[in-house]
Amino acid sequence: MTNESFGPNKGMFDAAVFANKQIGQRFYRLGLEFSADAAAAFAKASPGQFAELDLSGIALPPVEGIAEDLRDVSERKILLRRPFSFCDVSSHRGKTKVEILYCALGPATLRMTALSAGKSVSVIGPLGNGFRMPAGKKMVLLVSGGMGAGPLIHLAKTLTADCPDVEAIAFAGAKTKTELPFEKPTDEISQQLGFSLHEFARFGVESVLATDDGSIGYQGLITDCFSKWLGQRSLLARDAIIYSCGPEKMLARMAKIAEDKKIDCQISMERMMACGFGVCQSCAVKCKVNGSGETLYKLCCKDGPVFDTREVIFSA
Amino acid sequence: MSELIDVSVEFSRLKLANPVFTASGTCGYADELADFTNVNQLGGFITKSITAKLRQGNDTPRVVETDSGMLNAIGLANIGLDAFIQEKLPIIAKLTVPVFVNVAGETIDDYVAVVQRLATEQAIAGFELNISCPNVAKGGLSFGTDPAQVTEITSAVKQAAGEKVLMVKLSPCVTDISVIARAAVEAGADALSLINTFTAMVIDIETRKPVLANKTGGLSGPVIKPIAVYLVNKVYNEVTKERGIPILGLGGIRTASDAVEFIIAGATAVAVGTANFVEPNCTTKIIEGLKRYCTSHNITNIKELIGSLG
Ligand SMILES: Cc1cc2nc3c(=O)[nH]c(=O)nc-3n(C[C@H](O)[C@H](O)[C@H](O)COP(=O)(O)OP(=O)(O)OC[C@H]3O[C@@H](n4cnc5c(N)ncnc54)[C@H](O)[C@@H]3O)c2cc1C
Ligand SMILES: Cc1cc2nc3c(=O)[nH]c(=O)nc-3n(C[C@H](O)[C@H](O)[C@H](O)COP(=O)(O)O)c2cc1C
Ligand code: FES
Repeated sequence: MTNESFGPNKGMFDAAVFANKQIGQRFYRLGLEFSADAAAAFAKASPGQFAELDLSGIALPPVEGIAEDLRDVSERKILLRRPFSFCDVSSHRGKTKVEILYCALGPATLRMTALSAGKSVSVIGPLGNGFRMPAGKKMVLLVSGGMGAGPLIHLAKTLTADCPDVEAIAFAGAKTKTELPFEKPTDEISQQLGFSLHEFARFGVESVLATDDGSIGYQGLITDCFSKWLGQRSLLARDAIIYSCGPEKMLARMAKIAEDKKIDCQISMERMMACGFGVCQSCAVKCKVNGSGETLYKLCCKDGPVFDTREVIFSA
Repeated sequence: MSELIDVSVEFSRLKLANPVFTASGTCGYADELADFTNVNQLGGFITKSITAKLRQGNDTPRVVETDSGMLNAIGLANIGLDAFIQEKLPIIAKLTVPVFVNVAGETIDDYVAVVQRLATEQAIAGFELNISCPNVAKGGLSFGTDPAQVTEITSAVKQAAGEKVLMVKLSPCVTDISVIARAAVEAGADALSLINTFTAMVIDIETRKPVLANKTGGLSGPVIKPIAVYLVNKVYNEVTKERGIPILGLGGIRTASDAVEFIIAGATAVAVGTANFVEPNCTTKIIEGLKRYCTSHNITNIKELIGSLG
């Protein structure tokens, strides 16, 4: 239900595109500006929440601009909206700017690359529940795989603003250098901590990179890299919290690490979503029922997309 | 001008302010939709299927998109009758539009049990009998493809439904839909709704496996609309017209023009399903569009349009 006194908490709105910048081979950063009620609703958007974009009315970019391996699938007509989380939200003078970090990999996201400044897009949101910050935490560990970095960048920003005493470190992994969704890392990359990722460094958050092929940073899985790092630190489990987003296989590994080390861990999950606002039941996530052997399905879009790893039964 | 247009319709024993419903399974129990549209502006609301006991539903992926449509294999995931009565009925009771509870089950007794428990609830105008769900192992579609079973289940539920309007929802996955429609009507159905989804499959060409965990799913959305229009017209001509039984037409409706097609084909009212996911307020747009259509075509009463196919 809408909260009359503060404007609606969510809704279907038109956003104006103010930027759509290519930042890597397949990665882009889309900037959307909201006014009026929409600005008020999105000003409240928390890291890990998401929005559903209607990209069906946008024409494909010229075929030369489409990677050869995507040309065939790009021709599929799209019907449903697509879910995206935010990598930045900022409000100023009654307007709210929301940025989305995305990867062009299919018919909808390819169309998204054709959005230019001044165009309008229909957006439903903000949706779902974001990351929660339990009291008393001193160390925040942000661990992303591939495209999962977006909401963690947003989280790094709000954490440094809301909890300045908390130390935060980001770990980002991908298969190879070109699949890291960041603008070029600036400083020398090593396997050590450093301010190499501008996206995190601007909030004073250091980062560690890993690639499966070792083309940059640690060679191996980000989960192994993270695990090693944890092993070298003496860290009070109850002081720390892990926030993670990435492919489900990676999240399942994160859950195991968190369980072994008894560290709280919240993850942002993905499911195929037909609606995004809790009416269709398509986005089920299998969860444990507290204190019993039973399971139940929760909805990724409404109960999540952020879940505590202790409750999730992973499918990967 | 459009205020002078009468878009109300008589749907069995109900008088509806307009002919636009939301379809079962696409609008939950009305609570989530309230953020995007005023449910009370609708002609009627239909709940997600309710079964006697809670159903977890199928594994994921439960949905996949296809050109101009989607497949779903939710598996009738729902909170079950008890939780429905406790948690959702109070929300529904606050609505001013007629509400149909969609009922599903594995056995005839399941259906009767749900309908009996709800038959005395003031908040409910009627029941929609789902004998056409393609995504469950037992019950569902198997009831809806055999005329003898349709007769048996419809008459059993009719008794349990008392004064409430009983609508039977038909599957398009049959050789002759009129045979099924006739069985339902002769066994006491007050109205028919058609169509439910088509059984379909999408294959992942990398893994060479079906995309859906359930392997098959029900196809819905704009892609099924012309078939749905045809089937509504067929049932209208062959079964319901002479008996004065109303049809709720659905399948791929997204615009007012789509709705008009169904009404011309013989539907007294229409329902919108998949389109709500893309545009959760599209029913409001459709209701306005219907009035505009009537105005520009000199129709003062929308009833003139029903079954007016030339
Ligand atoms: C809560 C949530 C937040 C998301 N946030 C972002 C984000 O910030 N940035 C971003 O780039 N992407 C994000 N995604 C994924 C994004 O929605 C998909 O990449 C997009 O829908 C692909 O659409 P498409 O038509 O281009 O490709 P499609 O043809 O639909 O898909 C291309 C490939 O991506 C896979 N895919 C599609 N949708 C999903 C999904 N929902 N989950 C997992 N795999 C999928 C398909 O299996 C297929 O292999 C998010 C998804 C969810 C559920
Ligand atoms: C995600 C989804 C869930 C559905 N769940 C139900 C259901 O629980 N019971 C039912 O009778 N029909 C269900 N349906 C079928 C719709 O009510 C409708 O008959 C069908 O989708 C065709 O209409 P459309 O093309 O407008 O969506 C569902 C459809 C979808 C897409
Ligand atoms: S996507 Fe429809 S309920 Fe979650």
